[in-house]
Amino acid sequence: MSDDAIIRLTDLAVGYDRKAVLSGLNLALRRGSFTGLLGSNGSGKTTLIKTLLGILKPVSGKVVRLGKDGGDPRIGYVPQRESLDPVYLFSAFEVAQMGLYGVVKPGRGIGASGREQVKQSLERVGAESFAGRRFSELSGGQMQRVLIARALVCDPELLVLDEPTAGIDADAAKAVGALLAELHRQGDMTILMVNHELHRMRQLASQLVWLRDGAAVQGSVDELLSRDRIEQMLQLELG
Amino acid sequence: MELLREILDPEFLLRNSVHVSLLIGFVVPLFGVFLVMRRMVFLGVALPHISASGIALALSLHAWLGDFDGSHGANERVLALLGSVLFAGGALAILAFLERKGRGGVEGRIGAAYVIATAASILLLAKCPQAERGWLSLLKGEIIAVSDEDLRLGGGSFLILTVLLLVFRKELLLVSFDRDLAVVLRKNVVFWDGLLYGLIGLCISISVFIVGPLITFGFMLLPPMTGRVFARGMRQLALIASITGGCGALLGFCAAYHWDLPIGPTHVSVLAAVYFLALGVRRLVG
Repeated sequence: MSDDAIIRLTDLAVGYDRKAVLSGLNLALRRGSFTGLLGSNGSGKTTLIKTLLGILKPVSGKVVRLGKDGGDPRIGYVPQRESLDPVYLFSAFEVAQMGLYGVVKPGRGIGASGREQVKQSLERVGAESFAGRRFSELSGGQMQRVLIARALVCDPELLVLDEPTAGIDADAAKAVGALLAELHRQGDMTILMVNHELHRMRQLASQLVWLRDGAAVQGSVDELLSRDRIEQMLQLELG
Repeated sequence: MELLREILDPEFLLRNSVHVSLLIGFVVPLFGVFLVMRRMVFLGVALPHISASGIALALSLHAWLGDFDGSHGANERVLALLGSVLFAGGALAILAFLERKGRGGVEGRIGAAYVIATAASILLLAKCPQAERGWLSLLKGEIIAVSDEDLRLGGGSFLILTVLLLVFRKELLLVSFDRDLAVVLRKNVVFWDGLLYGLIGLCISISVFIVGPLITFGFMLLPPMTGRVFARGMRQLALIASITGGCGALLGFCAAYHWDLPIGPTHVSVLAAVYFLALGVRRLVG
């Protein structure tokens, strides 16, 4: 295991109601890496990242999160946008502002400096032009930008994205991909992205975790996305 | 105008009914906004009736224990309030726990709770005719005889509940809209969910205790739905819901007094008329 891991899993089993979907996970996310989490539908990708984030309790084993200062790292989370109920009448700005709620004390409002931070975060992802519009009325690509801005507003050490390009048109998906590549280039942020598009993973990620049959394989993109390995993982004959 | 002046006169005979209508009208919709947003409207139907069954138990307990003196003094009022709060709070805690565990169908559970609570109330009160009469008038929304004590109780408790709701709206909206993010941001979601359920439960039980389930549910649901028609943001939604509730209460009271109608059903009818009018205007304006 590398010493510069931001997240380390030891004999981890994840699932719901004490039933493991994935087990025997021993993985480490290297600080500053861009890791792709691959797997077919129902393979446990979302369950795994929800466990890493502390949203779900592990069935067994351990998740260690190591921030730069020795405590928990600051985490930015971009959920699947379908998980957010469109009945709420929040503007894009208000949604992005929620990223600051972790550092603002209960009962306190967001001050002028906080609002400025939110504005800058929206500008950083190119979402400032629709910041005043209702979040639920935005296109899929615009929503993703706002959710990424929300995740970035707390200056995270680790950015976790759950299917950020799912269900959006090809141009918007390409733009989101380019934005993530740029964010990774700009700083030392660690990025973990769930996706099932192999070509996007090849473009963006340096490391991969591939979930299959209740277990995980970790390796470099070149290693895991080689033709032989893909054939082996998918148990398919290509071409 | 003359009617309005008469109703708002400090010496008006039914002034407590006017004041309590306005109080419920302005405050209850603020809590209803959360029920509508969290898609818990069915819970809003069931809870007032569950709360009312707590009142029914408190008022009829003496008869079931063999004491048939139906004088119902101040002790029973305290017991009734306690029954209302305990039943609403207990039901909320159980339903919220089951929802989090994801066991069974939510609608089925709430529907069952509603019908069981209503049946239990009727059965419990069958032993005490005097309590039954009082409870039936509460069920119908007859709020002619609101005591100074009830008005003070409503005013004081709603003030505290509203202040808590407004002060912690940021956290309460976060756990409602994106619970997962709240966990990631290290918020204690069980506490904030508990606080929200607690505030809603107390609001419902105190409102049911003073004005009954019909008025409570009417103000909990219809003003937020009217607000949804026009509001562009959450703050606007709360504001429109509260103003609709307050104005609807005043209008409802005027109509009930002028045409000698029961107050509760008139309130609800006025709120429903405002809602349908809003839908019509929205359709016309586009």
